[in-house]
Amino acid sequence: MLSKTISLFALCAGAMLGPWGAAGHAEQLSGAYIATTADCAACHTDGKNGTPFAGGYAITSPMGSIIASNITPSKEFGIGDYSLRDFSRAVREGVRKDGAHLYPAMPYPAYSKMSDADIAALYDYFMNDVAPVDVAAPQTDLPFPFSVRMSMAGWNLLYGGGAPLVDDPAQSPEWNRGRYLVEGPAHCGTCHTPRNLLMGSKTSAFLAGGAVGPWFAPNLTPGAGGLSDWSDADLSAYLSTGVAEHARASGPMAEAVEFSLQHLNDSDIAAIVTYLRTVPAQDTAQADTASMPDIAAFVPADHSANRSRHTLADDASGAQLYETVCASCHGLSGQGSADGTYPALTGNVTLEPAQSYNLISTILDGVSRTVDGHETLMPAFHEGSLVQPLSDDQVATVASYVSTKFGTEPADITAQEVATVRTGGPVALLVKMAAPGVMAAIGAALVLILAGLAVMLWRRKRSR
Amino acid sequence: MTQETLSADVVIAGAGICGGLMALDLTRAGLSVIVLDAGPRYDRDQVVQNWRYMPPENKAGFDYATPYPTVPWAPHTNFFPDNGYLHTTGPDAAAYKQGIIKGVGGTTWHWAASSWRYLPSDMQLYSTYGVGRDFAMTYDELEPYYYAAETEMGVMGPNDQQITPSAPRSKPWPMTSMPYGYGDRRFTELVAPLGYDNTPVPQGRNSRPYDGRPQCCGNNNCMPICPIGAMYHGVYSIEKAEALGAKVIENAVVYRIDTDAKNDVTAMHFYNPDKISTKVTARRFVIAANGIETPKLLLVAANDKNPNGIANSSDQVGRNMMDHPGISMSFVAAEPIWSGQGSVQMSSITNFRDGEWRGERSAIQIGYNNTAQTSKGGMKALATGKVGRALDEEIRRRAACGVDIYVNHETLADPNNRLTLSSKRKDALGIPEPDVYYDVGDYVRRAAVSSREHLKTIAQALGGTEIEMSSTFTPNNHICGGTIMGTDPRDSVVDSWCRTHDHQNLFLATGGAMSAVGTVNATLTMAALSLRAADAIKSDLRAG
Repeated sequence: MLSKTISLFALCAGAMLGPWGAAGHAEQLSGAYIATTADCAACHTDGKNGTPFAGGYAITSPMGSIIASNITPSKEFGIGDYSLRDFSRAVREGVRKDGAHLYPAMPYPAYSKMSDADIAALYDYFMNDVAPVDVAAPQTDLPFPFSVRMSMAGWNLLYGGGAPLVDDPAQSPEWNRGRYLVEGPAHCGTCHTPRNLLMGSKTSAFLAGGAVGPWFAPNLTPGAGGLSDWSDADLSAYLSTGVAEHARASGPMAEAVEFSLQHLNDSDIAAIVTYLRTVPAQDTAQADTASMPDIAAFVPADHSANRSRHTLADDASGAQLYETVCASCHGLSGQGSADGTYPALTGNVTLEPAQSYNLISTILDGVSRTVDGHETLMPAFHEGSLVQPLSDDQVATVASYVSTKFGTEPADITAQEVATVRTGGPVALLVKMAAPGVMAAIGAALVLILAGLAVMLWRRKRSR
Repeated sequence: MTQETLSADVVIAGAGICGGLMALDLTRAGLSVIVLDAGPRYDRDQVVQNWRYMPPENKAGFDYATPYPTVPWAPHTNFFPDNGYLHTTGPDAAAYKQGIIKGVGGTTWHWAASSWRYLPSDMQLYSTYGVGRDFAMTYDELEPYYYAAETEMGVMGPNDQQITPSAPRSKPWPMTSMPYGYGDRRFTELVAPLGYDNTPVPQGRNSRPYDGRPQCCGNNNCMPICPIGAMYHGVYSIEKAEALGAKVIENAVVYRIDTDAKNDVTAMHFYNPDKISTKVTARRFVIAANGIETPKLLLVAANDKNPNGIANSSDQVGRNMMDHPGISMSFVAAEPIWSGQGSVQMSSITNFRDGEWRGERSAIQIGYNNTAQTSKGGMKALATGKVGRALDEEIRRRAACGVDIYVNHETLADPNNRLTLSSKRKDALGIPEPDVYYDVGDYVRRAAVSSREHLKTIAQALGGTEIEMSSTFTPNNHICGGTIMGTDPRDSVVDSWCRTHDHQNLFLATGGAMSAVGTVNATLTMAALSLRAADAIKSDLRAG
């Protein structure tokens, strides 16, 4: 009966496809590939050694941990008894089979734009190709009032997404495919589009850059501060390997490359690039590349008076910290290694003022990215680092130093900013409003709606 | 004057690799652990800076101690100039000037990370060749602990090569060796026609990201400090244990050990730098202060019931001091060898690790030292008196063509090679400093004759000029034997589990327990013995 339902649905979905289909591609892609484009494993597999799709990954939020669920076809603990309709409703509308609302850590507003055919293929994949895991993922157990999932219903009316995308016949198939990926399964805007006061995506500023807890997802539009300086080749390389001349994928973007983007077809990467070139330009703070420092003019500081101690003094200068902690890989002049294995800091986009949080996060959490079976690791320098723990003051000092010395303009990153990033990034107004006193004043229901949404901004923090 | 009393299931004196691995293993097993270290904590960034700004004379002379400033309450050796902490006598006094670091993390802060397993015959030397002593266990009994140590440390080895002789393995190395740099590659090619097999040294160093630490990027600075944390140091295990709840106290100098009527250890006492004393009680005690400080502490802590020192009813504490006495050679090769690409110790010639001759003379290891020649060659170039462009060229030539080769010799346990307490020298807390009498013995001297021939042959193969060979034996800091292992309590200090014969609840996790030293670096064997001792403690405490 179940299989009959699937095939019927698939048949109907197939009938809707045009030359490139509703999803912008000629042939129905496999469910496994679609799951990769949608990066389901990023949350539903518990880290690099987790059982595929068995859930259990804790996405930390100021309200508590949201545990990704088991989405294997286990009847008892997973989605084994979901019909295609149940599955579609969960993925695209954020509502479980039992009627409970998902927290929008699940990017269903973006997935709502996926085609019926892709959803059907995805369903088929999870039901038939994913091994059932008969183990319960821990329950998400947020404290009241966040525990009231019903509160999401109201928000969904405003921001819950819409209907599957329909191809624009005036545009090329490649453009349509790119739009489908960017707005749909690849859910780029979930991080890269800023959010309004109610935590809904600001559609007027699509892909203009957004805060993601301790990270900043940069402007992807052709506007100032966006991707106008990036060649197609650089952008493609970045998406498929995490490495471009002046940028390296770190933090949540490294995960997106590792678990999803590196596995995409070249044509899909090209389609994403094609579409990104055409989204409405948004101007944000732009780096002044003309003021890039001259590497050859770099003169190391002299602090020979400071030799022979056990620990660096609290007032160690940026130059001291850079030379002792960073230079052994990135080079004394920030030049990196000739082959780019160790990226140059001079000209690195992470030193642009808009990305100061990314610089701090990279220093604190390091970089871990496995592409094509090869792991790239920059060690963490947070309090649990085996290599070298750095204090807030030290991170602020060295981050200001590298920004000023190797970036485009002087920077004065403060210890307070580092402390904020270290604890997960700035707290959104909506979460502050969830404080009991405030809540009483504005009404619990509204806050619940809003706060629940804030969750999606707290991408999981790398375990320390 | 006594402060509070501390207490735990296990107290470990010494926060180096042995104490660190034990602390981590015991803490993971759910036991409460206190680790005491006589010295301070070190920060990598400051040590890097200390090294960077050290005078060129020190760098050229391989001074690895100065970046780790010694403290009055826990002095360690420094030979630039000799601070006199370790006084040595005997025919080969110069060959026991050992480099050690006191402080959290211990001497593996600076080491080449060579992480060899011993050959089964190394551990059964007497049974196999009729000389020296046997370990109180077989290789097979230690094998699982070797692997556990390799896994925790992160050891890379030549998984893709068959090397003879080599120690049998139940599982591959956790990481596969990085490729040689130019120097090791060229040296290997040049000596191969002479029958020398120059093979990869297993190293506690990352060839890929491991344990949250990066892969080696070839700073060639393993000694005195890996600037990026790609190399294993004992401090990692200490910090991991600490994160799991172990209590680590630095600047805690153990000086007294209490025993009861059954001769069980009941407490250790330590001084802080102000000589305020603290008592620590535990169910099991470990001294993990390696080959010099462990016997020193046992002797210092002599009490009424143990007047010759703790664990010393056999009179073997401090005896049988061993190392791998070396002969070093440097020369200028006829072609650029470019020492310095990769880590400092990537390869060695292993043909002579084992053979029938061991009944009569030492087995040996011959090694190419891949430390960059820039500092040393630069100083030599300056000494030529050249200036300007000629000086630049001379520096370049010496940096490119300079070569250092060494031969390390197996030694035999000899009770006359003995560590004792100085009657004159005391540290700032009034604790006596160590003296060592050392004679490498005829077993080594017989081998040294052919070692010098090997060195000459190798220098010739590389077209060497300005050949300089050390006329006396050199120390290698592989400190073994002072608390020797054996089955007979009358001539040994610990049993095969590193448990002291005299005190059922005292363990010595140290190279001092090793009964024979083979030809290769002792660290991995010390580490494996320590993990085996940890198993004994877990078993003890589970039982009651």
